[in-house]
Amino acid sequence: MKELKAIKINENHFEVDMRGWMCPYPKYAVETILERLPAGGFLDLLVDCPSATKDVPDLAQKLGYDVQKVEILRDGEWKICLYK
Amino acid sequence: MINKTVLNGRDKQIYVWQYVWQSIRGDWLKVFTEPWPIGAGAVALTITNLFMFMYARALGVFPQMAMWGSWLYNLAGLKTESPFTPYPVKPIYLDMHSMIDIGIIAGALGAALVAREFKIRKEDWRGYLWGAAGGILMGFGTVLMPPCNVGGFWVATMAFSLSGPLSAVGLLLGAYAGGSILQHQIRTALQKLDFSTAPKGEKKAAESFSHQPRWGGAIFFLTLLVAVIYYFKGMPKNAGLFLFGILFGLIIQRSRICFVAAFREILVSRDGKVMKWLLFSMAIGAMGFALLKAHGYQPEHMVFPAGWHNIVGGFIFGIGMVLAGGCGVGVLVRSGEGYTRSWVAILTAMLTSGAWVHIYGQKVGEEWLYGKPVYLPQLWGWGGALAFIYGFLLLFYLFILWVEAGKHERA
Repeated sequence: MKELKAIKINENHFEVDMRGWMCPYPKYAVETILERLPAGGFLDLLVDCPSATKDVPDLAQKLGYDVQKVEILRDGEWKICLYK
Repeated sequence: MINKTVLNGRDKQIYVWQYVWQSIRGDWLKVFTEPWPIGAGAVALTITNLFMFMYARALGVFPQMAMWGSWLYNLAGLKTESPFTPYPVKPIYLDMHSMIDIGIIAGALGAALVAREFKIRKEDWRGYLWGAAGGILMGFGTVLMPPCNVGGFWVATMAFSLSGPLSAVGLLLGAYAGGSILQHQIRTALQKLDFSTAPKGEKKAAESFSHQPRWGGAIFFLTLLVAVIYYFKGMPKNAGLFLFGILFGLIIQRSRICFVAAFREILVSRDGKVMKWLLFSMAIGAMGFALLKAHGYQPEHMVFPAGWHNIVGGFIFGIGMVLAGGCGVGVLVRSGEGYTRSWVAILTAMLTSGAWVHIYGQKVGEEWLYGKPVYLPQLWGWGGALAFIYGFLLLFYLFILWVEAGKHERA
């Protein structure tokens, strides 16, 4: 599978693009991604799987992270905003 | 806030119409753009399935896809028979059973468009390779099990076929094996993810304008038109089953209920939420099947051969459905949502299962490989059959609780 990379938006704000990764990949990835995110960091996780808009926030919340919002980017694409 | 007591005559009428219009708009938006609670989806599915059984037959989608595969071989000049006896090779548009499958794709497409969730979701070649592998495994799984996750486990168990509970064992283990492969893939993909060396990028902004909901409305209008045409061409069952298919596609797309996740997440993430709802839906459905079948209505329907092949076939099917990203129904729904991996999976699954008679030399259920169909009420009477099925549902539920209780060990 292709590699997952992070992008830096500003000092403590990052983005990981998981568009093209069908479910349950985003759910399986989010725990590790959030572990590596620096403390106090914001993360935008981009997904294009409808189920991920529920699975990912549920899991992030269960793991004790803040889910700030889930917003639709365009048709079939979402941005899940998380905070560590 | 409008004070209703001072409204009179025309104003009052306007208020009433405004209220009705706003309420309809709000309710429809809620149904078609917000995800349904999973429990609502599970109950809607089981009731729709009962109604369809009363109308003609219960839900099952894979034997039809196998027939499509055999049909393609015949078109290409390779003479082969369809593996499932009740579904002989026929042009797809004349086959009433295939109308369920096509309806599911169309219903999911319409629902996804209305909710602005449709997108052609492409993958790289490795994604397609995994999709093809999943399709091939499901293709073999469906003829061995038989038939698939929804028909062979969900419906078969409700229909008092011993094969249902046996398939569950294989599906559970297969889904766990498949889920472990996905987890391994994710770990590999994340190996080099490092926030400290991340290159600078721009923030993604939302775009709000889209015509998708209108296209969705057009799809639903077209499907109704197709149903009406079938009806007037003297094929009312094709029309009816097509509409049932649309309904299944709509329910599954909106509630995001996933039969793969139900099996996969129990052992992979020790989360049995989806399966618990499916067990609940089966408890309701089994009562409906019992009432109908005990009165002599289609007693043999959805009773499949029972034996070791249920477990082995379920295991193979279970791995396949996870890699493909959907079971029989799942790949149909996801193909409607625009997942190209599911398109590949459908094609490879069709071609694999469609070649079964050529490979095995016999049809599904015949000769040495398969056991005899076991219809539980015939074995133990209705009391025994009900006790067995409800006992199985309870045992499965307790098993999930036992697995979930081990959650803390990981922390």
